[in-house]
Amino acid sequence: MTQTYDVIIVGAGAGGGIAAGVLAEAGKRVLLLERGPNRSFEDVGRDHLRNQRLSLYGHNAGPDEEGNPRVVLDTQGREHLVRPHEGGYQNNAAGVGGGTRVYGAQAWRFMEQDFRMASTYGVPEFSSLSDWPISYADLEPYYERAEWELGVAGDGEACTVQAPRAKGYPMPPVPDNPSRIVLKRGAERLGWNTNPVPLLINTTSYLGRPACVQCSYCVGFACPSDSKNGTQNTLIPRALASGQCEMITEAMAERIDTDAQGKVVGVTYLFERDGMMQRESATAKAVVVSSGAIESARLLLNSTSTLHPQGLGNEHDIVGRSLQGHFYPGVHGLFEEVVHDGLGPGVSIATSQFNHGNAGIVGGGMLANEFTKLPMIFWRGSIPPDVPRWGAANKRWMRENFNRTLHVMGPVQDIPNPECRVQIAPEVRDRYGIPVAKLSGTTHPETVRTATFMYERAREWMEASGAVRVWGGLPSLSLSAGQHQAGTCRMGDDPHTSVTDSWGRVHAHDNLFVVDASLHVTNGGFNPVLTIMALAFRCAEHIAKVL
Amino acid sequence: MMFTESQHRTLRAVLDRLIPADDYPGAWEAGAGDYIARQLEGDSKHLLTSYRLGLDAMDAEAVTAHGQHFADLYVARQDALIRNVERGVTGALWVIPATGFMNTLIHHAMEGYYADPAQGGNRGAKSWEMIGFDQIGRP
Repeated sequence: MTQTYDVIIVGAGAGGGIAAGVLAEAGKRVLLLERGPNRSFEDVGRDHLRNQRLSLYGHNAGPDEEGNPRVVLDTQGREHLVRPHEGGYQNNAAGVGGGTRVYGAQAWRFMEQDFRMASTYGVPEFSSLSDWPISYADLEPYYERAEWELGVAGDGEACTVQAPRAKGYPMPPVPDNPSRIVLKRGAERLGWNTNPVPLLINTTSYLGRPACVQCSYCVGFACPSDSKNGTQNTLIPRALASGQCEMITEAMAERIDTDAQGKVVGVTYLFERDGMMQRESATAKAVVVSSGAIESARLLLNSTSTLHPQGLGNEHDIVGRSLQGHFYPGVHGLFEEVVHDGLGPGVSIATSQFNHGNAGIVGGGMLANEFTKLPMIFWRGSIPPDVPRWGAANKRWMRENFNRTLHVMGPVQDIPNPECRVQIAPEVRDRYGIPVAKLSGTTHPETVRTATFMYERAREWMEASGAVRVWGGLPSLSLSAGQHQAGTCRMGDDPHTSVTDSWGRVHAHDNLFVVDASLHVTNGGFNPVLTIMALAFRCAEHIAKVL
Repeated sequence: MMFTESQHRTLRAVLDRLIPADDYPGAWEAGAGDYIARQLEGDSKHLLTSYRLGLDAMDAEAVTAHGQHFADLYVARQDALIRNVERGVTGALWVIPATGFMNTLIHHAMEGYYADPAQGGNRGAKSWEMIGFDQIGRP
């Protein structure tokens, strides 16, 4: 049976969820397809070993361990078949809300220079570094929409480094905690500007949901008081309440359908009902791909036809290239005093002092203190290398220092490598029989140089804050995508070097759009989600107008 | 039964050296053994044979070096033996890699001690009380 819609959106995450809300409220008839389920708080649970922060044996927010493999090509040219919770998969959550269901919810705007990296720094050899076709000023009103329509807590005055904003945040920042007091002292000694980390978390009741109860489980889990704002509790409910949006969960898009002239006409998707795999094709005036940088590229590449033998939007072999995420250099520091009060979210102070303007360095990054940490994550990654990893000494160290250890780290602007890419592994199929993504390549070596520079700044901050011991590991070359994956369908003015125009419309198609982090030409030195959201508001508003 | 009586004794003795008791419980009392048993019936089912072979080899190490079962050794000797196995310095016959076995056991012990009680270990969330995790609203 074929249903006709105005728009079919593939993926109910940060980008797709907002596109659904904007388009449905504009009166468009929307079909929102999501491969994962709509998980309750209890469904996500509090398993310390199976979550989006530590996935030793599985995930709490999908995809399922079985039936969703990817192929990873390592730097020695060997192929590995990996499951979603295993290293190298570069997983992001799959379900209603996408990553926003379980994220830490840092709500950063990119800076002005982040939109013109190539003209600010020049293009390093073998890098695909480019300017965005839009500027910070183009996106500023949409950042504001995201901040107010989802809800961000922050201090709009505190950061003197970032670009101007027309309006403050709707909620005050998270309260001071001991970590913030200690790190602020250090930053002041160094003369660095800091600000409370802006978060998509309610510090007051907002839009009908209560303030954060400050539990210890922000990042990697769902919120017990529904005070963390994702698309699942904001724009998607708005879309559904409009009566214009139909959401189908646990439905996997197989391909974007085109007619004999090559025009996009709809989406074929698969779902299991009563133990039977079923296939359905829906038609629409436009299709919006919002499946995340890896899965959006996979869907375009899998949508081959006689007229599009390389997949949709891929006439110039750009789809899937320049896959990027963030390196996270950082250090741990040990303090004589207790530096944690045990209250969540924990993340409370950041500096944007080194996002740009670092002599001899391309870009830079933000640094912030870490969220409250699970004990197992602490044991695995926060003990100095000379402390034994078992025995009485280890137990004593855990006991004495769990709340005396700070971790400062931050995302480094990735310098994109066109050879870091998503391709299709035709011989490997998922549980639906669809060929899976194959990941290969590493970031550009310049990223490692920037990350090393930021590692040194983190060390400097920790020492100035009074840490009696500082330790950490230097970054090394690898593929980084994961929850911050971006860049595979970059926007641009030139169809030879980009996949979409500045509205997310795939070049050479009138009615095919990409709305997620795939569009990011570069990924900033910040958590990217607020930029994904702002772009989604901007693109969806445009789609509503032209449709 | 998952383990023989002898394997069971060795497991308990090794776990209690990986996380010894003080005024907070050791690994065994905290339920790390229960966690491992559950893990070997679930996500780590494929490791059951390695566990059996590894525990036998640990005990054989003790017998080879000291003429006593591992569980009967003085703790200093137990610790030294664990350290050697961890580094792959072995005297008895190992049919599985010794360092890999000890690495798995160390990780499982810590998971059984520090993860959430719903996973089968960390009885009464004592380890969280010890380090000061998630204490808001707790007595």
